[in-house]
Amino acid sequence: IMLAAAQKLGAGLSTFGLAGAGVGIGFIFGSLILGTARNPSLKDDMFRYAILGFALTEAIALFALMIAFLILF
Amino acid sequence: SPLEQFQVLPIVPITFGFIDLSLTNEVVILFLVFFLLGTLLFSLLYKDGTLSLIPNRWQAMLEMIYKAILSLVVDNIRNDTAERFFPLVFSVFFFILSLNVIGLVPYSFTITSHLIVTLAIALSIFIGINIICVRRHGMKFFSLFLPPGTGVAFAFLLVPIEFISYFFKPVSLSIRLFANMMAGHTLLKVIAGFGFVLMGKAGILFFMHYIPLLILIPLFGLELAVALIQAFVFSILICIYLNDAINLH
Repeated sequence: IMLAAAQKLGAGLSTFGLAGAGVGIGFIFGSLILGTARNPSLKDDMFRYAILGFALTEAIALFALMIAFLILF
Repeated sequence: SPLEQFQVLPIVPITFGFIDLSLTNEVVILFLVFFLLGTLLFSLLYKDGTLSLIPNRWQAMLEMIYKAILSLVVDNIRNDTAERFFPLVFSVFFFILSLNVIGLVPYSFTITSHLIVTLAIALSIFIGINIICVRRHGMKFFSLFLPPGTGVAFAFLLVPIEFISYFFKPVSLSIRLFANMMAGHTLLKVIAGFGFVLMGKAGILFFMHYIPLLILIPLFGLELAVALIQAFVFSILICIYLNDAINLH
């Protein structure tokens, strides 16, 4: 019973890592908006790089989530 | 438990002693993508064996994907021989795209949400990139671990870090795809479970069971976007790693 409780506690605590990833994704899309405001060559490169950066940052968030799942089960 | 949708269930068990060749649900989806989507879709586009100059709609969609991946390969691998890697990147992109999107169908099975599948793809491409690099550059392959313009004292610190990050590449590539797919499907299952549980309760809770279903609709859209984006990011990262391997920094 202690193990199950500790597992749930650990899984809940390890979702703190998603905060940094949230900041990172917001930063990427914020800079996309700023960059588009400066130079609206949007559909060519900037949006593609923004999606690439989003996916890479999301990967870090999901690394943290995977550790949560590993602890939980 | 929301993780039990990822179980590989044998449909037709075929075991030779300890070798397990059984027909599982994972194998069914894999065969579906490999034979049906790969060959039938491409053969549906042709009018009696040839592509028409003014494309019909399926051909236009395929041409869009073709052009996107071609620009990806040619822009990222800055070399004259870049186009010979186009079939590899295109097949990987189309394969992962179809596997991801097939997993969105309600009772279906996402095989890229298993680490072994994505690790197999990423590791084989990583080994292939190593072989390409060694064949092209011989012993200069080890200059991959030393970024240009660093002093000697700095190099002692930097080379182990580069070494570790080099071997982290296929791991991160596979875990990114695996974690995105698995987390997405688990989220969908958890919210659907909320709706299911709410439907069984009495009173006002019964009428609130629409709320999880309404939340599920944009989440499903997000899942579709993530499926497309993850396939795209996988292939663009393969192009970047190929660029690193072919032009040593």
